[in-house]
Amino acid sequence: MFFVLLLWELLWIWGLPAYVLGPVAILTHFFTALGSGELYVHIGASLMRSLSGFAIGTLLGIAFGLAAGIARGFDRMLSPMVFLTYPVPKIVMLPLFMLWFGLGDLSKILIIALACFYPMFINAYYGVKAVPTILVWSGLNMGAGRRRIFFRVVVPSALPLIFAGMRVSLALSFIVMFATEMINARSARGHLIREAENSLRFDLMYVSLLSIAILGYAGDQLLRLSRERVLAWQESGA
Amino acid sequence: MRRLVPFVLIGVVLLAWELAARSGLWSPLLFPPLANIAHEFVQFVSRADRLFEAWVSLYRALGGFALAALAGVATGMLMGRSALAAGLLDPLFSGTYAVPKLALFPIFIFMFGIGSLSKVALIFLECLYPIVIITCHGARSVNRVLLWSAQNMGASRARIFRGVVIPATAPFIFAGFRVALPVAMIVVIITEMISSTDGLGYLVIYSLSSLKTDRMLAVVVAIALLGWLLDRALVALRDRLVYWEKLETYYV
Repeated sequence: MFFVLLLWELLWIWGLPAYVLGPVAILTHFFTALGSGELYVHIGASLMRSLSGFAIGTLLGIAFGLAAGIARGFDRMLSPMVFLTYPVPKIVMLPLFMLWFGLGDLSKILIIALACFYPMFINAYYGVKAVPTILVWSGLNMGAGRRRIFFRVVVPSALPLIFAGMRVSLALSFIVMFATEMINARSARGHLIREAENSLRFDLMYVSLLSIAILGYAGDQLLRLSRERVLAWQESGA
Repeated sequence: MRRLVPFVLIGVVLLAWELAARSGLWSPLLFPPLANIAHEFVQFVSRADRLFEAWVSLYRALGGFALAALAGVATGMLMGRSALAAGLLDPLFSGTYAVPKLALFPIFIFMFGIGSLSKVALIFLECLYPIVIITCHGARSVNRVLLWSAQNMGASRARIFRGVVIPATAPFIFAGFRVALPVAMIVVIITEMISSTDGLGYLVIYSLSSLKTDRMLAVVVAIALLGWLLDRALVALRDRLVYWEKLETYYV
């Protein structure tokens, strides 16, 4: 990793086209931007959208996934629909969502929630399906009620997969957040003009890129930490 | 009767849609009737220029995916079987895993131009991660006893690689492909929506700007169908090549 950065810096000093900046130059711009405060507004707005979308999508995904995992009738009704639409890129719904819910935050949050719903649903579903039957039987045998088995046996066994799903959805929420902002801010034809306007500001482009990278990385690490706390009994594999 | 249960929810959703379209509460621009969407869809399938747009998208998605599959399997194998390669590359991959690579798209446009190349490059990058990570995981978890027995019986390194490591990793490789293929579809549509003059993503944006919601929805249906077909094709290929292990779970 270090080697790549070094190579990049050396290449830059050696001479690359103007649209590529060296790591040191990017860092300098990054810190000036941090100082000026211009960045915080944008980061705040983006984070608000992606996190609320992530929260809605994840909660619904876990709830429906668990429900489909334990109740067969529900499973037979809901799962075909979910698995049929799973490989469909959810972002294509964005234009329609923009028509239904307006150009503002709501359509973006909902599309992020939709994108996060799928991996969560599938992971929670398979998490429940993979609960060892013996554990459920022993629970029943020892006289635990249905509620108790659900919270003490089913949910803890499904948790590792649920966390794996959350990791996927978190990454997805950032991707979709970014995509919605890029599509929405520029219509297909307005794009070129914007690009030309942007072309004088490579520094800002790289700065926002770096901040997105840092946010994505931080979110992932945070999730990993909480996973280790919650799943203290399980050896971390991923 | 029981066999009909899976279609109940789909039926209910379609019915609700049709009711919303016919109720007159919303403009037909928001909820175009199903018949119009079906009509546009038939038009889509029967017109050569529309099918060409689908071909453009498919070609980009599969091109990027194929490149990522080649490079990703090679890198993943290397990382899984060699400690040195893992030490060098692992920080790079796990460090940048959660970073949305899509953010690089504006820079890719500058580097590779606004045509297909920048899109294929981005699809390559996005698909590379899941394939590398899952392949590496698989190559690492090859049963050690199998490796030892092969060595004991005098198999050469190349032979062990071909005869033991590759078959043992194959299910993981396909699991990685299965994660990466929808990603390729997503990225091709997004990039075409952001900047393009052809492809299905462009068609979505274009139909919307011309206020043809029914046409847009027909394209959405076509994209959904394409994604679903690709996934089925991959699963069929997997079941043929990795016939000794049944596919049961979605993720590793």
